[in-house]
Amino acid sequence: MENAIEVTDLTKHYSNVTAVDGVTFGVARGEFYGLLGPNGAGKTTTIRMLTGLTEPSSGTAKVAGRDCTREALAVKQRIGVVSEVSNLYNEMSAWDNLMFIGELYGVNKLTRETRAKQLLEAFQLHDRRNDHLLGYSKGMKRRVRIAAALLHRPEVLFLDEPTSGLDVQSSRLIRSIIGELNGEGVTVFLTTHYIDEADQLCDRIAIIRQGKIVVESSPEKLKTSLQGERVVEVAFDRDALNLENLLRSRLDIRDIAKRGTKYEMHVSDAGNTIAEVAQLARQNGLKIVSLNTKEPSLEDVFVRYTGLDAVQVERMEFLRAVKGGDQHG
Amino acid sequence: MADTYSNRSGKSIYAAMSKAVSIAKKDAKIYYFKPQILGFGILIPAFVYLSFSLGREISSDLLIPGLVGMVSLFGASSVEAISITIERQTETYELLQIAPVSTTTIIFGKSLASSAFGIMLSIITAIGAALLSGGRIANPFLFLVAIVVGAFAFSALGMLFAAAAKDMPTANMSLTALRLPMIFIGGVFIPIQALPFQLRVISYLTPLTYMIDALREAMMVPSIQFTIDLAVLLVWVVVLQAVAVIVLNKNTQF
Repeated sequence: MENAIEVTDLTKHYSNVTAVDGVTFGVARGEFYGLLGPNGAGKTTTIRMLTGLTEPSSGTAKVAGRDCTREALAVKQRIGVVSEVSNLYNEMSAWDNLMFIGELYGVNKLTRETRAKQLLEAFQLHDRRNDHLLGYSKGMKRRVRIAAALLHRPEVLFLDEPTSGLDVQSSRLIRSIIGELNGEGVTVFLTTHYIDEADQLCDRIAIIRQGKIVVESSPEKLKTSLQGERVVEVAFDRDALNLENLLRSRLDIRDIAKRGTKYEMHVSDAGNTIAEVAQLARQNGLKIVSLNTKEPSLEDVFVRYTGLDAVQVERMEFLRAVKGGDQHG
Repeated sequence: MADTYSNRSGKSIYAAMSKAVSIAKKDAKIYYFKPQILGFGILIPAFVYLSFSLGREISSDLLIPGLVGMVSLFGASSVEAISITIERQTETYELLQIAPVSTTTIIFGKSLASSAFGIMLSIITAIGAALLSGGRIANPFLFLVAIVVGAFAFSALGMLFAAAAKDMPTANMSLTALRLPMIFIGGVFIPIQALPFQLRVISYLTPLTYMIDALREAMMVPSIQFTIDLAVLLVWVVVLQAVAVIVLNKNTQF
């Protein structure tokens, strides 16, 4: 069966910058596919080319069996797109926004009214359907935006940072509905900064860096790709001077980061590391409060392939959360 | 085969028209009552006209076409300029781009809304001015035809400026910088024949001149000049819309 998305050597140049550099991938029908990468890696440009908003400099992209450049309108009829900004008309109610968008997709009046009612109920907004969006929170607007993208029953759904900066309730509801839709056979293409979200939802993930896909596989396979690597977490009863440097100098560690009161170390030999940590604690009069070992997470995979360290990822997510915090209007 | 093709293209034309009408209804709902429209589309032409006409004796055959032409110019071009720049700034324009709607359909839909606004203002103005001045429009149907075609030309002018400008103030200011001189050389206050030769030549390069001339023709017994005016206005509509589509496509592709 033909893939829902088929991309071959897709490239986009902006004057002297190459935003997307010869990307090739395929997404099977009904698959939940995630594209992860730091800011400016080429995620949004890729989505814009796949949704017919930007013409590629070279290469081809087919979505739902149609060429994104030559048959852009046919592609748009078969896809739903939710961009990072909730670009709906604030001067109109949720209901009027959905009716208008339904008209643009050629959905007849009875069908769009039935579907709009169902979608607004699913997104818990039916009671506020006649309120102007100006009074909606960011989470509510995003829910209407996703409902609008689903009104014409798309074969492929493109989601660009769908839960970015949203409250927990909205994020959970959105994830749950997207998961259900995918279960019903809708192909989903997701870009997100929330690595846990991608881990939880995606069948397959590609990591893009500087316009190139550096790795692509299922979340589980990606995690096991860091073969032999383990994560050791240790917390002491107090902080000693230069403890991080001390750990770094004594142990064979690939990476170390302090998270709250814990030190997280990426090592190749967990047993030896634990023995060394115990010895170091004894020598420095420290008491180990907790000691854990765990498998590398998807975030570790992301860090490894994008070249960002864990602190940078945390800072990036924190800044995004603060910047995009839930707000009215 | 030919029948199937013609049915299909007929259906797609109908679908595109229906989407254009949806865009027009949405624009009317959102933008007709925006303060910017009332300011740039109604108050400015009202003040300009009052400042030039108060205390002067103006005949109804000069007053009615001049006033109607000016109101149409400001009304139709303002809605277009404001709606497209606001939508680009708030990124709601992307909502239209994401949908299965061509740029030509988007522009046509938007020009329907702005032209309808210009047409409504023009009709109200024509009736009001005719009642106040006691003037008589000999051929109301042709007068209406001139209003409709003129409004489409001015809405396309607004669209072109909105497509080229980076934001709303830039679009409105540059549009006003063009609209004001157009009023003085387009026959609103001074008949074209009374203008110096150089200004008369420039006046023949603006759509307002042809609209006002067509309206004056419709107020009397129309001659072949009415058809010429209308043809020139239609050329303006097609050229301005086509250039606006190209510019808008260029400026909204990232």
